[in-house]
Amino acid sequence: MASEIFERDQHLTFLQMMYQLLPSPYQSQEINRLTLAYFVISGLDLLAAPDRLLDKEAVANWVLSLQAHPRSKSELNNGQFYGFYGSRAGQFPQEVNDNGALSCSVSNLASTYCAVAILKIIGYDLSSIDSESILMSMRNLQQPDGSFMPIHTGAETDLRFIYCAAAICHMLGNWSGMDKEKAKEYILNCQSYDGGFGLTPGSESHGGATYCGVISLRLMGFIEDDILSKDAESSIINVSLLLDWCLQRQAADGGFQGRPNKHSDTCYAFWIASVLKVLGGHKFIDKKALHGFLLACQSEYGGFSKFPGDYPDLYHSYYGFTAFSLLEEPGLKPLCVELGMSAIAAIGI
Amino acid sequence: MTEREMGSDEEQQWVPFKNRPEWSDVIPVEQDDGPNPVVPIAYKEQFTETMNYFRAVFKADERSPRALQLTTEAIGLNSGNYTIWHYRRLILETLEADLQNELDFTDQIAQINSKNYQLWHHRRWVAEILGANATSAELEFTKKILLGDAKNYHAWSHRQWVLKELGGWENELDYCWELLEEDVFNNSAWNQRFFVITRSPLLGGLTAMRESEVSYTLKAIVAHPENESSWRYLRGLYKNDNWSWANDPQIASVCLKVLSANNDCIFALSTLLDLIRHGFQASKELRDAVDAIRNSNLVEAESDLTKTICSLLEKLDPIRVNYWKWRKSILCEGAK
Repeated sequence: MASEIFERDQHLTFLQMMYQLLPSPYQSQEINRLTLAYFVISGLDLLAAPDRLLDKEAVANWVLSLQAHPRSKSELNNGQFYGFYGSRAGQFPQEVNDNGALSCSVSNLASTYCAVAILKIIGYDLSSIDSESILMSMRNLQQPDGSFMPIHTGAETDLRFIYCAAAICHMLGNWSGMDKEKAKEYILNCQSYDGGFGLTPGSESHGGATYCGVISLRLMGFIEDDILSKDAESSIINVSLLLDWCLQRQAADGGFQGRPNKHSDTCYAFWIASVLKVLGGHKFIDKKALHGFLLACQSEYGGFSKFPGDYPDLYHSYYGFTAFSLLEEPGLKPLCVELGMSAIAAIGI
Repeated sequence: MTEREMGSDEEQQWVPFKNRPEWSDVIPVEQDDGPNPVVPIAYKEQFTETMNYFRAVFKADERSPRALQLTTEAIGLNSGNYTIWHYRRLILETLEADLQNELDFTDQIAQINSKNYQLWHHRRWVAEILGANATSAELEFTKKILLGDAKNYHAWSHRQWVLKELGGWENELDYCWELLEEDVFNNSAWNQRFFVITRSPLLGGLTAMRESEVSYTLKAIVAHPENESSWRYLRGLYKNDNWSWANDPQIASVCLKVLSANNDCIFALSTLLDLIRHGFQASKELRDAVDAIRNSNLVEAESDLTKTICSLLEKLDPIRVNYWKWRKSILCEGAK
């Protein structure tokens, strides 16, 4: 029998357990360990966990130990990216890199976003990190079409990494890491015929891609906040189609689906509702129905699952928390949807 | 099968590297998790040992058949690790390996988990080298994945890349047709259809294709007026051409047809609202049809048609009641 309330204490216990040790099924995600850490630490922050649950100094030291450093400034133009490694698994001591022929244990844009976000959440002074290396070398990842690759050794390019780049620039307060105009052009090409955004031009509209596209435009200052109360018609994107598409994603069961005619899934309550929040259309959501769906995905042992009745996982748990924050659940801090962290952490108090 | 037999099966499945004679010369490199690690992972023994040997060969930059075999095992356990995939490509290049085997390898990995970005990137790397020779194999591969999951985003993305870079457009519209015959609610297939009619070099683009596509879509709408995908596709056919949208009599006519049947008419009503917004003048027949639905749903009459439509949508689409109220309110603002 599903609980009728948001079980904050259970969620805190769940996150504490994850903080101590991630169970073995997470080993296949070890390359994204910084992302897993971001879910846990930002989750604890959103749930207003007591300070004693988190050793901020240890977290800061661990995150900083994953930063890639160039040997000299001249290396910043060698095509490589000096951000943060996703995990320890492929990180070797510097002397190995110096002697060995390989230096392909590479830092990753998504991990870099998570690292900077974690540092911001725990209140670390971001002006004290070597942001010049991150920003200058990040330009090596931007493609001629404006999109970003996550790693310099080659990978898929799409809207996800434009978002990571924009969020990093925003948090570091320095936009020299990317060509905003080119990124804008790419994003605009991703708005599909139905109003949503696909991950690449021509691909199907998708909740997560729509988040990345719209929020990046907002972070870069190309669209205004609460655009619906202003001049939506003159916006660079088709706002009315986008709004209609987003609202149509709330399905009969109250949850949000990522694409038309698919099942509702916990995480889209964050991806889509965040877009609606930025547009000023959050007030159109049927909050009661969404609340009901999310509770059906709440695990009795804490955390959230993707679909009602499934086992919880860290990813869906985190987006369950953010969704409840957007629903203004007591006991949760208000959310900064643009950065995916509490509003207090985003402001930097 | 008894427990004992199962146990011996498992042991046969995986032999620790330290017990394999061909690896006896390699000293494994442990992961250095540093002091006070955050979110440490409870790795299983097989995972830890495989990664320890991977680190050792990687560190030595060994590009040998056994190193290639090791990446096969490591990717099987840790398929998201892009460093292992990258290293595999370096080995393949050095060994000048037959890339046809890579197609089989990615095929196997896809059977375990096809929602993995690295797998598809690797597949693309292979196809890029094989060039146009790879076209049909790649189209078949994605078709196979889509047979199991017709909305697999990675597979669609790869398929679009193949079409753009390598070609193979000839049968793509037929393929979309097949998928929509199977499931007309498959939004991915509708999207692919849009991709084909707007980008295929063999077709004349959106304007040239519009007439036949509208006729195809109208049939799909009449058969399933509750299908959001077909309505959105119809709207898409008039992208950047609102005048044609509001002035094509076929659009108003399909709205009338669906409204007259008075069954699942939410999208017909919202389409009509959109048509009027772009200058369409509703006929008496259409007004009567809306009125009939209004009466049967016990909704009060409003001063004009668009307000009535919004009131009807408030009633028929209650989950979006606040949206339709707002749409009605901005109609008022426009009238001021």
